[in-house]
Amino acid sequence: MHPALLGQTDWLTGHEAALLPPLLGFLAIWWLMPRAKVWPRSVGVLLGLAALASGALTLFQPGAAIVSNVLFAFFALAAIASAALMITNRNPLYSSLWFAVTTLCVCGLYLLRAAPYLAAATVIVYAGAIIVTFLFLIMLAQQAVGVAAYDQRARQPLAATLLGFLVLGGLICALRPWAPVATAGEVLTEAVEAAPASQALLRIPPALAADPFSQRGDRPLGEVRGLGRVLFGKYLYAVELAGTLLLAASIGAIAIALSSRRGAT
Amino acid sequence: MTAELHNDLIVAAILFVLGAIGFLTRRNLIVMALSAELMLHAVSLNLLAFSRLHGNNEGQAFAIFIVTVGACEAGIALALFVALYRRRRTLDVTAWRELGEEGLPADTSLEEPSIVPVAPAPLEFPHLTPAGRVPEVPKRRAPDRV
Repeated sequence: MHPALLGQTDWLTGHEAALLPPLLGFLAIWWLMPRAKVWPRSVGVLLGLAALASGALTLFQPGAAIVSNVLFAFFALAAIASAALMITNRNPLYSSLWFAVTTLCVCGLYLLRAAPYLAAATVIVYAGAIIVTFLFLIMLAQQAVGVAAYDQRARQPLAATLLGFLVLGGLICALRPWAPVATAGEVLTEAVEAAPASQALLRIPPALAADPFSQRGDRPLGEVRGLGRVLFGKYLYAVELAGTLLLAASIGAIAIALSSRRGAT
Repeated sequence: MTAELHNDLIVAAILFVLGAIGFLTRRNLIVMALSAELMLHAVSLNLLAFSRLHGNNEGQAFAIFIVTVGACEAGIALALFVALYRRRRTLDVTAWRELGEEGLPADTSLEEPSIVPVAPAPLEFPHLTPAGRVPEVPKRRAPDRV
């Protein structure tokens, strides 16, 4: 066995409780998946609540800043719960609305991570435009009374859920060395400098550290001025490319919609 | 600060996995597209976490590009869904199974009638018991043509 994998299993022998939230979440998602025979939803909801509670207990340690901890826990748990409800709801209308709730909660996380411009842009683009157009399409397509049969049956729910939660367990084990080592008032730069080789992504590359626009501390992070400096300075060509991509996508969408109309009549 | 990073990465991993499960299991084209957007959200959250850890704006710039590409993808996907719906009158993705590889065993668990009807509520108006006699309504002459 690979030595890194061996280390992970060694870690697991002491921390079996960390496997409880993914296991409960797997059971909840698998239970709530739409299937032909209706199972009682309350069991799945209870399993999901137990998964969220145990995950909150193991994940969110009480730190220095209570307010940000509480806000982060609230937004994260609400985002996860509404995402689970989105993928398990039988009605695509409600799925879209739960996706809007997930987007708002994720935007709350963006705000906590000092990205107000990105939070506003995401709310405008996703909750404002995309959800409304998807709702229009759902209402266009669902003229008949009742929920369509293809929304009542999931495709291979057990295999897909098992695969997804195996990936999640692998990710959690892989992220375990990055877990905090109980340091209150930890100085970031020292921790980053002392990061071992397994945390190579934590190190700031020297080219980035020498960049005057990415100096830490001269300007508050997420300020529109600094963001604009990065966007229109270093990534100017990428911005132009993104604009071209938007233009091509809008032309393509109009062309596809028009050609399908001509083919139908 | 690394505690923040670790929590962010865990939450983003959970959201990504939920989006992947939705993309794999759901058969409605719209819900599949929404699950793909959920995976994009998770990746942006990762970028923002690293942006905050390193204290510069580059991760946020990448996340803005992700929002741009997500908007393009949603527009194209909607146009395609409208075109597909006009062809087959359904949003079921398994209606387009013949676009896949030939010779695969058919998934027998998906055979079912296309619409499961929900019984509509019976429409009832209150019935009044007839009483008295029917009043005589004087016959009206048809109005003269002008």
